[in-house]
Amino acid sequence: MLLSEPEAKTICQKALGYVNADDAEVRLQGEKYSHLRFAANEFATSGYREDVNVEVTVWIGQRKGSASTNDLSDAALRALVAEAEELARVSPVDEEYLPTLAAQTYQPVGGFVESTINMPLDARAKAVGDVIAHCQQSGTAGAGFHQARGDVQATATKNGNFLFGRSTLAGLSVTSRTPDGTGSGRSTRNHFDVARLDTAHIGREAVRRALDSRQPRALDPGVYSVILEPQAVTDLAGLMLYALDARRADEGRSAFAASGGKTRIGERVLDERLSLYSDPWHPELPGPAAAPNGIPARKLHLIRSGVLETLVYSRFWARKKQVEPTPGPVNAILESSAKPAAVEDMIHDTKRGLLISRFWYIRSTDPRTISYTGLTRDGVWLIEGGKIQHPVRNFRFNQSILELLAPGNVDLIGAPERVVSSESEGEAADLVPALKVKQFHLTSVSEAV
Amino acid sequence: MALGAAALPPWLLDREAAEAASADKAALAEQALSIARKGGATYADIRINRYRNESIAAREKQVEQVSRTQSFGFGVRVLAGGAWGFASSREVTPECVRRMTEQALAIARANARFRKKPIELIPAKGVKASWKSAFVRDPFDVPLDGKIQFLLKMNEAALGVKGVSFVNSSLSFMNEQKFYASTDGSVIEQYLIRTAPDIDVTAIDAVRGDFQQRSALPSAKAIGYEYLDQYPWLQEAEQAGHEAVEKLSAKSVTPGKYDLVLHPTHLWLTIHESVGHPTELDRALGWEADYAGTSFLTPEKRGKLQFGSKLVNLVADRTQPQGLATVAYDDEGVPAERWHLVKDGVFVDWQTTRELAAGTGGAASHGCLHAESWGAVPFARMPNISLEPARDNATLDDLIADVQDGILIFGNGSYSIDQQRYNFQFGGQTFWEIKNGKKGAMLRDVAYQSRTTDFWGALDALGGEATYELGGALNDGKGQPGQSNAVSHGCPLARFRKINVLNTAAK
Repeated sequence: MLLSEPEAKTICQKALGYVNADDAEVRLQGEKYSHLRFAANEFATSGYREDVNVEVTVWIGQRKGSASTNDLSDAALRALVAEAEELARVSPVDEEYLPTLAAQTYQPVGGFVESTINMPLDARAKAVGDVIAHCQQSGTAGAGFHQARGDVQATATKNGNFLFGRSTLAGLSVTSRTPDGTGSGRSTRNHFDVARLDTAHIGREAVRRALDSRQPRALDPGVYSVILEPQAVTDLAGLMLYALDARRADEGRSAFAASGGKTRIGERVLDERLSLYSDPWHPELPGPAAAPNGIPARKLHLIRSGVLETLVYSRFWARKKQVEPTPGPVNAILESSAKPAAVEDMIHDTKRGLLISRFWYIRSTDPRTISYTGLTRDGVWLIEGGKIQHPVRNFRFNQSILELLAPGNVDLIGAPERVVSSESEGEAADLVPALKVKQFHLTSVSEAV
Repeated sequence: MALGAAALPPWLLDREAAEAASADKAALAEQALSIARKGGATYADIRINRYRNESIAAREKQVEQVSRTQSFGFGVRVLAGGAWGFASSREVTPECVRRMTEQALAIARANARFRKKPIELIPAKGVKASWKSAFVRDPFDVPLDGKIQFLLKMNEAALGVKGVSFVNSSLSFMNEQKFYASTDGSVIEQYLIRTAPDIDVTAIDAVRGDFQQRSALPSAKAIGYEYLDQYPWLQEAEQAGHEAVEKLSAKSVTPGKYDLVLHPTHLWLTIHESVGHPTELDRALGWEADYAGTSFLTPEKRGKLQFGSKLVNLVADRTQPQGLATVAYDDEGVPAERWHLVKDGVFVDWQTTRELAAGTGGAASHGCLHAESWGAVPFARMPNISLEPARDNATLDDLIADVQDGILIFGNGSYSIDQQRYNFQFGGQTFWEIKNGKKGAMLRDVAYQSRTTDFWGALDALGGEATYELGGALNDGKGQPGQSNAVSHGCPLARFRKINVLNTAAK
């Protein structure tokens, strides 16, 4: 069983009880995690882990020290606090110290379903066995990963704040590859409720994409009109969140910095139909009750109707700039104000372009423009005359995310779907739509499948 | 500033020793292995490991964070009914060991029904051994104030350069205390130390709205606190400052084909991505297909494929001094060894584990099984992999002398490669024009893009032993669930002809 709220509170209070320092914060994280991996149509590794970690941060005369352990015994917690205090005593003054939070009022959030953690071993094995069977029947090699986890988090401060939260997540990803080595398809989904994870559908989707991507033809690199499926959109659009730190913008080292020491707040940075926001109470994508800075999370627009509405302020930087600390983001939702277009309609609307499933190995090339390089993966198709013609080989791209979503470059926008970013190892999800854009820079061809 | 001492205090060491003693590892291991055997396991192992980390982060003239972490726990792995099961917990007690071993058996049994072919392992001899990585000063015995002073002096050196706006630096130390026992009769204890200084300097041109960064050129190593004395870090910090500022006014590169001379502080990452990963046999067999990908190398290419020019000799080595992946034994009791992956340009061998070797008719494992922590399932991970230097004493001047139109690259920047390890694109930290055999002005916005075997086939000159340096990464990601691996790559200077260079700032 995961730690309950009273159990977590007892541990946090015990640790705080050992504190002699002027100020302190205790953070507790607990998990129960199980998984099953398969490849080449065979079960591979499968395991289980249970752990609890306690971190104590203290300030003595505004000097800070932190220590953590996964030993919850009284002796260990006493020693942990003593170690943090020892580190604080020998550290320089923390110039950015702010008193820990006093009691806050956090609104309850969703995202926990007990049965997700307790999925029986046989049930998981059967679900995965059925996916493998479908891959075999279709003549493809299946590989994938099923995971289920339950997490608890608790934070307590010497100034009287206490927050307890718990969440669950189940996920499945499946890659299906054709025996001639030319086709590969992938499908992945996750949800906090294991009953909402349709493993059979995920397996069927992966196989369909693999078969539809066989015998890809070479196409020259260039600037193309593209339709990005929601998976592809989350792979790229999620990268913008990293650039939204207020401090870096104020310091002049961010894409959202402006000349003269200003920021681009108030400027139109995206297509006017697009808004990027965070909402801890979204029923499909519940987020934690607290923002990363510890204050209660609220619904928060970062970009509204294309205009940069706010950057993300830590408590320290907010005080320095005499603004309120930002109550988020705790998740990412990209939405359009216009009527959504289905992917089929986007295809019909395309004279010549490409349909892209997802991206891989995405790395920053220029933070000044939020530019990245990476590859397409698991399905690219040529569209001509409003119809999919045939699969094409993968490409490397070099693209500025800001230019991708800029006014004038976005044609059509779909309805947001809950999707899992390709490089998040199945654990992060966003709500994003499919997009049709006018220009996307595909700079070289990759023969990888 | 008055600072006290604070190495790890004696009472903390005593507590850890008492905790370790109270966890009688040998007895717990015997309990786990006995339950596993009785439960029908044909193989079982238990790892009881402790991980300690200490890290300090600073920016400009202030310290941001001083922290220590520790994690202690165990994981039991069983092979029963031809399938794997694994279970792990932080509670290192007889009751929990019993519970987790039974859980691992239950997982294996549930999955065994679906295996078409039982998993087999190459046999291994039982070994009783104890080993420590090579270091002079255990960094966990060193007082904190010296470490803080080191970082602040580095920052000061960088900030002393006119035009430098921001400096972020860090110092991290890692200690792994590993205990492994198996039904082969092995009992192996290993103690590893790693040290990782780092610095990142930013220069800003507020008028033009531009900013440029220069990160540290040297990498983390499996070495003790002596690393801070052995390498000229203050000089590195100051140079980083100068080069960050210089980048603001450097010429933006004209795209085209260039001869590239790659410094070891850069080339190690290209080796990692384009050699290390495609030679993982599990990737080639499709075991990583759902996440990290597969490989353009396939079993029938072994011994046949011309991977690179005849100058290319790439060696895997888990015994390499200061190598981040250096151990005495891997996580299934196989002794560390050294072997060629590419010899005289030809692809000759893989990275293997006991399961991979058994499945492909191999006689023995190359000892590549590894787990990042007690709670992680071990699987095939990369050993240190290095490019052998030239036998002569070729220097940087020798390599540059024969270049009419080229670029010299130091340090790591952006890095990206496709899922089968064909097409890659790499940036760097600093770039210098080479014209008519001479190093010229700084360039910026440089990345090169190539295809793995074309690239290694374009290598036509190597530096000598004196140019050889060791680079590496602490966080090589692979697997599901994802795990990190620490790995080093050594190489000399190397020259590659007519590689495609692009401008990363081009619209």
